[in-house]
Amino acid sequence: MEVTLKIFRYNPEKDERGNYVTYKIDAHPNDRVLDVLEHIKGKEDGSLSFRRSCAHGICGSDAMRINGRNMLACKTLIRDVGDHITVEPLLGLKIAKDLIVDMEPFFDNYKKMLPYLINDAPLPADGKERLQSPEQRARFDETTKCILCAACTTSCPSFWANDEYYGPAALMAAHRFIFDSRDEGAEDRLEILSETNGAVRCHTAYNCTEACPRGIHITQAIGELKLAMVTGDID
Amino acid sequence: MGLQRNVSLSTGLRYKGHSPFWAYILHRIGGAGMALFITIHILATFAEQQGWKIGDLINKLYTSPAFQIFILFCVLFHAINGLRIVILDLFPKKLMPYYRQIIRAELALFIIVFGFAVFSVVTTALGRMS
Repeated sequence: MEVTLKIFRYNPEKDERGNYVTYKIDAHPNDRVLDVLEHIKGKEDGSLSFRRSCAHGICGSDAMRINGRNMLACKTLIRDVGDHITVEPLLGLKIAKDLIVDMEPFFDNYKKMLPYLINDAPLPADGKERLQSPEQRARFDETTKCILCAACTTSCPSFWANDEYYGPAALMAAHRFIFDSRDEGAEDRLEILSETNGAVRCHTAYNCTEACPRGIHITQAIGELKLAMVTGDID
Repeated sequence: MGLQRNVSLSTGLRYKGHSPFWAYILHRIGGAGMALFITIHILATFAEQQGWKIGDLINKLYTSPAFQIFILFCVLFHAINGLRIVILDLFPKKLMPYYRQIIRAELALFIIVFGFAVFSVVTTALGRMS
């Protein structure tokens, strides 16, 4: 099938503003959008820039707007998006070149959540790991799936309006540790979440949940955080 | 480095969100509509007190059936959608997995209540005309 791709292009060395370039190429319905982008870069226009790494939905490098919605290019089949495809960079982050955005503010917000295990208590008597029941592990299982692709954060209207808002991905990192029975930093994290740019800026538009390529119920997890902020209950 | 991050209103509105995103947008339109109504109401009252003719004109505007339908839309959608958000926020674990079904129920409730309100406004306006 012939696929028409309209791709956002921007070269900071030449362009004052971005523009769209259209490419027509032959593709199989089972090809992924990433395959088509690779084809264009390899055979038609080597200057096309986009991030990709594992190409299997694990590294989270190739999140972009495909036909107006955030998706991973490596998990999106041509047959699911049709033969007229518009590819644009993520919203709300500075565009470095073509489909590449500056992820620094995104990772800065992530780091604010103290995304690591905090536990200064001595190890158990046997000197081995801190044990956890399957139920305790299941409590935060959902948010361990996050691959930090930024599809959620850059689909959030609150983040579009204000990039000081930590954003759904950072809140997922907080959720992952706050509800971990081995962690002792919940109080600090809940205090961070209670700040002006914390969880209260989530207005439940569910764009994050719909955009997440890992199927994480993000808005629900943020709801659990909001409730924990109010009640202090992290069970 | 590169293009700024600014997301314009039109770019944001072009994002293909699902029904909760549109409910989010309509919620804000509802809020802005109510603020507009209150502002007009205060201005009209002030103008009437001063004996200015414009007060009467503004009163005619916001008592017109079209404006009444608009303001009913704003108030009812804002209230019903706000209720949905509050209920979901109170029971995230139990109810948020069903957010798609809940928003459909909300829209059904809104259509019934708003439909009744519009019917009432229109029949009253027609009664005045006859």
